[in-house]
Amino acid sequence: MPPLTTRRNGDGGFGPVVGAPSEPGSTAMVALAFEDAAAQQWLQRAQATDGSIVLRAGSVIRDETPLGALALEPGPGRERALDHVVGYQGANGEDPLVNAFGWPWTDDTHGWTEPTAWGLLALRTLRPSATDRIGDAIALFEERECVGGGWNYGTREIFGVDIPPFVQTTAVALLGLGDLAPSLSARGLAWLERGWRGESAGTLTLATAACALDSGGSDQAAAALHALSERSRAAVDTVADCWVQMAATKSGPWSAG
Amino acid sequence: MSPHHALPRRTFLARGAGAAAAFAGAAVIGLELRERGKSGLWDPSAFQPPTGARVAVIPRTTYSGDITGTIRDGLVAIDASFDGARVVLKPNFVEYDPGSVVNTDPRVVAGAVEAIRRMGAESVTVAEGPGHRRDTEYVAAASGLLEALRAVDAPFADLNVAPATPYALRSFYSSLDALWIPTLLQDADIVVSMPKMKTHHWAGVTLSLKNCFGCLPGRVYGWPKNALHWVGIDNAIVDVAGAIRPSYAIIDGIVGMQGNGPIDGDPIASGVLVFGDDPVATDTVTTRMMGMDPVKIPYLNEAARFLGEGDPDHIEQRGEDPAAYTTSFAPAPGATFAATDTSGY
Repeated sequence: MPPLTTRRNGDGGFGPVVGAPSEPGSTAMVALAFEDAAAQQWLQRAQATDGSIVLRAGSVIRDETPLGALALEPGPGRERALDHVVGYQGANGEDPLVNAFGWPWTDDTHGWTEPTAWGLLALRTLRPSATDRIGDAIALFEERECVGGGWNYGTREIFGVDIPPFVQTTAVALLGLGDLAPSLSARGLAWLERGWRGESAGTLTLATAACALDSGGSDQAAAALHALSERSRAAVDTVADCWVQMAATKSGPWSAG
Repeated sequence: MSPHHALPRRTFLARGAGAAAAFAGAAVIGLELRERGKSGLWDPSAFQPPTGARVAVIPRTTYSGDITGTIRDGLVAIDASFDGARVVLKPNFVEYDPGSVVNTDPRVVAGAVEAIRRMGAESVTVAEGPGHRRDTEYVAAASGLLEALRAVDAPFADLNVAPATPYALRSFYSSLDALWIPTLLQDADIVVSMPKMKTHHWAGVTLSLKNCFGCLPGRVYGWPKNALHWVGIDNAIVDVAGAIRPSYAIIDGIVGMQGNGPIDGDPIASGVLVFGDDPVATDTVTTRMMGMDPVKIPYLNEAARFLGEGDPDHIEQRGEDPAAYTTSFAPAPGATFAATDTSGY
């Protein structure tokens, strides 16, 4: 990743790519990957009184509070963020295949794999007393697990056709789950070990897989990290580059729990 | 730009963006308009009645050979003009699944780049925001799109992370009120929607209008862009397409997808490329060519009220007779409402 100073906006935050205005998601990832104090301060300023950290797009509210909670320094701001995370959940409609709530990408929509992984990670590492929501997240991962293990964006089947897992989402789910559901994680990790090479054309995918393989104690972690280091280091986008940083330094919020 | 646009694309979008600030936090305005009834579903000053639509069906049974020439033929047939324009091509790469025909074929995309350059465009950029995968680099690389674009030295933009600004909607079918639209698209003179000819399990068909979903950044709307479904997928298609306003459509029907689309259907060789200077007209003709009834596709019906031409009698047909190239697609489960009807062009 190019030096942070070349990417940081004047307000201290980070956009999804160089030149874009600061946003909560990319700023939180920089705060997490680089323990960047100015990024944390940007998040503190972006936090609403209800504890949430969001991006608004018309009537659509993209909630980044779980990431924000993980990125904030310990203190009242983080606690308010965690309070919001506990109370924020997906909306279930009439789909009989959807029972667990998890966390959604945006307000009043279904829970999905990646936001649920971040919600779970925030609670299991920072608010383990939130057992109901932690249990709900595990239930979502059980409900959405693909046949043979692993996860895609969060749909097990469509009209009776099994949908295959993806590497990036499986890796994020595993990092969210940690040791909470050993058999579920074991199937996911086994699929990840089989599947990561097949999707290694993407920097984000490869970096995320390297983090999850390392966190899961896989003997393939070194190979994934090596494959990542062999890639050209042209900047991709802020979030992908933060994952590269976390993979290279073998660090991330999942190791705190 | 499309002759149906009363305002040049950039002027139209700039006015919308300027209005966004006043619109922010005023969701009640959209709600009020929706409750006012059909007459309040779009801003009539932003959408002028269509004055003519041209659609050309060009037979093509293979992705090999001179596809650039075929695409140029199709664009010339609809009198497309790209002189000095900054053009963005928006293909459909919602995700990548080896062996499937889920995406616009990369050779069609590269062929369009070359054809449009030869027709005088100042620049041609290919842009997509995959709806199911956060890792756009993976989708573009694994699908062969990056390699195809490299061969014609064309830039690719990841719309999921591209800078974006709010745009206040000028149609009000959904409760979205405003959309974050990448500035690349707002600044373009011409956007060309380049979908695959596919069935869709909720919408019936996914063509040049539905393809506009991929213009919205996943970092805002998620993977998938579930918010667009929760407001009613038909409503969202109309509003998003009304914001993006593609000037032209090029539909890849050389091999389409039938059945459990948009991602798990089966290939069907339909042997055509369909070109149009009006996305509504192009989708209407293509839907019939898929053996389905456009009248039964709710979002097409609504889009035809203000966004483009849906009346076959007012669509000028160029190229081959679409009826001669109709291939009955199996509808997607969940979308049998688009029941077969091949009558009348």
